[in-house]
Amino acid sequence: MDIWNQLLQGFATAGTPINLMWAFIGCAIGTAVGVLPGLGPAVTVAMLLPITAQVEPTASMIFFAGIYYGAMYGGSTTSILLNTPGETGTMVTALEGFKMAKNGRAGAALATSAIGSFVAGTIATVLVTLFAPYMAEFAVKLGPPEYFMLMLLAFTTVSAVLGKSMLRGMTALFIGLAIGLVGLDQITAQVRYTGGVPEFLDGIEVVLVAVGLFAVGECMYTALYEGKSKKELNRMGSVHMNKLEWKRSWPAWLRGTAIGFPFGTIPAGGSEIPTFLSYGVERKLSKFKSEFGTTGAIEGVAGPEAANNSAVTATLVPLLTLGIPTSVTAAILLSALQNYGINAGPQLFQTSSGLVWALIASLYIGNVMLLVLNLPLVGLWVKLLKIPRPQLYAGILIFATIGVYGMRQSSFDLFLMLGIGLVGVVMRRFDFPTAPVIVGMILGPMAEAQMRNALSIGEGKWSVFIERPMSASLLAVVLAILILPQVWGLAKRWAARAG
Amino acid sequence: MDSSSAAPPVDRAATWPQTLIGSAALLLGAGLAWGATGISSEAGYAGVGPNFLPWVVSVVLMLCGAWLILEARTGGWRQLEPPSGAVAGDWGALAWVAGGVALNAALLTRVGFILSCTLCFMLAVRGLRGSEGKTHGGAKGLVLDFVTGFLIAAPAFWLFTQVLGINLPGLTDTGWL
Repeated sequence: MDIWNQLLQGFATAGTPINLMWAFIGCAIGTAVGVLPGLGPAVTVAMLLPITAQVEPTASMIFFAGIYYGAMYGGSTTSILLNTPGETGTMVTALEGFKMAKNGRAGAALATSAIGSFVAGTIATVLVTLFAPYMAEFAVKLGPPEYFMLMLLAFTTVSAVLGKSMLRGMTALFIGLAIGLVGLDQITAQVRYTGGVPEFLDGIEVVLVAVGLFAVGECMYTALYEGKSKKELNRMGSVHMNKLEWKRSWPAWLRGTAIGFPFGTIPAGGSEIPTFLSYGVERKLSKFKSEFGTTGAIEGVAGPEAANNSAVTATLVPLLTLGIPTSVTAAILLSALQNYGINAGPQLFQTSSGLVWALIASLYIGNVMLLVLNLPLVGLWVKLLKIPRPQLYAGILIFATIGVYGMRQSSFDLFLMLGIGLVGVVMRRFDFPTAPVIVGMILGPMAEAQMRNALSIGEGKWSVFIERPMSASLLAVVLAILILPQVWGLAKRWAARAG
Repeated sequence: MDSSSAAPPVDRAATWPQTLIGSAALLLGAGLAWGATGISSEAGYAGVGPNFLPWVVSVVLMLCGAWLILEARTGGWRQLEPPSGAVAGDWGALAWVAGGVALNAALLTRVGFILSCTLCFMLAVRGLRGSEGKTHGGAKGLVLDFVTGFLIAAPAFWLFTQVLGINLPGLTDTGWL
C-alpha cells in the first residue's frame, strides 16, 4: 500500500489552501483559453513560464496542469457552439456536437462532453496513479541508448505520422532541432550558432518560439486572411441530459477512455488519433447510425471527448516517468521543470516524489473543479465568445509580451518573437505542422546528449544501439513507422495497376 | 510521399511561393553547414563531437529544401490542405499588427510596459478591425481603444510585477506606471 500512502501525502500537499487556489486559478484560466479561439493550453503555459522564477515548483506544476486540463474541457464548448475547435483534440467533437447544437440539443452535447471528460479524466488519473510508479521503476533500468531510441521514436511519430505530409513534418522537426542547437553544447560547453549575439548564448527560450508561432503568428494570420470569415454562435439551451441520452453516453465514455489512455502514453502525438478512432468506433457501434452527420449523435460527442481527456491525462505517464513529452503542452511542462533544475525521468519519483504525488492528487481535485466550472457555470464561459475578435487578438499580444519579455528581460527577444510569428504565418498558410518545431527544440538537445553518452558507453561504436535488445527493438519500431506507410502506398498502387 | 503519383494540373505561377519556401529551407541548411565548419569535432570517448548534430541537421534540412523545391516544380506540394480564410491576404492589416509588435519591442524599455503595450494594442486593433472591413472609428474610436488597451495592460502589469514578482519595465520607479 505504498502507492496509497504516497497518494494521501499528495492530497495533503495539494489540499493546502494555497495549492487549491493555484489549481482553481489554473482550471479557470484553462477553461477560458479553451473557450477562446486563438489561444491554447500550450501557448498559455508558455506565456506564464516566467512565474517559475518566483513560484515554487509544486504550486506552478499544479497550476500548469490545471490549465492543460481546463483547456480540454473549455475547447469542447467552443467546438459545440461555434464549430471552431478550440483545440486539435476537440476537432471531432465539432463534427457531431455542432450538428446537435444546430438542432437545438446543444445542452445535451455540452453535458455529455463535460461529464464524459470528468469520467475519463478521473479513470485515467486512477490509471496514472497505479501504473506510473511501476513504469518509473522499469524506466530506471533504461540506459542512454534506450533513451535515445525513445526520443527518436517521439521525433518520428510527431513529424512523420501526424501531419499530412512526411516531408513537411520532417522540415518542421529539423527547423526545431536547428533552433535547439543554438547556445552552449550540453556536454562540452562549446558555443554553437550564436553569431556573436550574447542573447543567444543561453539558447532560444521555448516561450519565445511557442508564443511567436502560436500567439503572434495566429494574430497576424487572422489579420491577413481571416478578416472576412464569419462564425455564427449556436444557442445554448439548458444543460442537461434525459434518460436515453445518459444511457447512450456512458458506454461511449468508457470506450473512449479505454481508447484514449494507451495513445497518451506512447509518443504518438497526443489526442488527435484516439479521438478520431473513438469517433469511428462509436459510429460503427451506434444504434442510431442515421443521426451521425445529420442531426448529430450524442455518442459521437461522448466517446471522443472521453478519449481526448483520457489521452491528455495519460501523457503525464511518459512525461513524469521517462521525461519524454508526447504533446506540445507536455513539452512545455517539461521545460517548466527544467527551469527549476528538475530532471523529469524515472528518478523524479524518488527525488521529487512530493511534487509528483501532489501533482497527481491535484488532477483528481482539478477534475471535480472543472466539472463544476463547466456544467452549472458554462453560460459564464460562453460570454467570452462575445469578445470582439480585434480586441481579443490585440489583447493576446499584450500577454505575449509579458511572457517573452518576462522570461529574460530582453527587447531583442521581442523582435525575434515578431520574426518567428511571421514564420508561423507562412507555416500555417502552407500546411506545415508546428508541433514538431516545439518538440524538436526541447527534445533535441536532450536526445543529442543521450546519443553521445550512449556512444561513449559503446566506446564510439554505433553498434551499441543494436547490441542491446531493448534499443534494437525500439529502432525496429522507428524504422517500421518510417518505412511501412511507404511500402503500403506502393503496394496499393501496384494492386491498383494490376487490377 | 507520393512523388510518383500523377501530378494534379496546377499552374506553375501558383507554386512559386512553394519553391521560395523550399529555397529558404535549403538556404537555412546551407547556412547551418557553413556554421558547422567552425564547430569543434572534439569527440572524447563518444566518437562524435559537438559538430555532429549540426551536420546532420544541416544536411537533412538541405535535403528537405531540395525535395520541397522538386515537389513544387513538379505540380506543387503533395497532400496540401487548402488553407483557411481568404485567398488574397490583407497586407495592410498585417502591417498594422506587425508594426504594433515591432514598435512595442522598440519602446518597451523607454516608455514602460503599460504605455508601450497600450500603443501596440491600438495599432493591432486598428489592423484587425480594418481586415474585417470596419472603419477605425475616428477620434472617439482611438480614445476607446486607448482606454481598452490601458485597462488590459495596467492590471496585467500590476498583477505580474507586484503579485508574481516578474520584472517588467515601468516608465517610473513607482511600480504603478
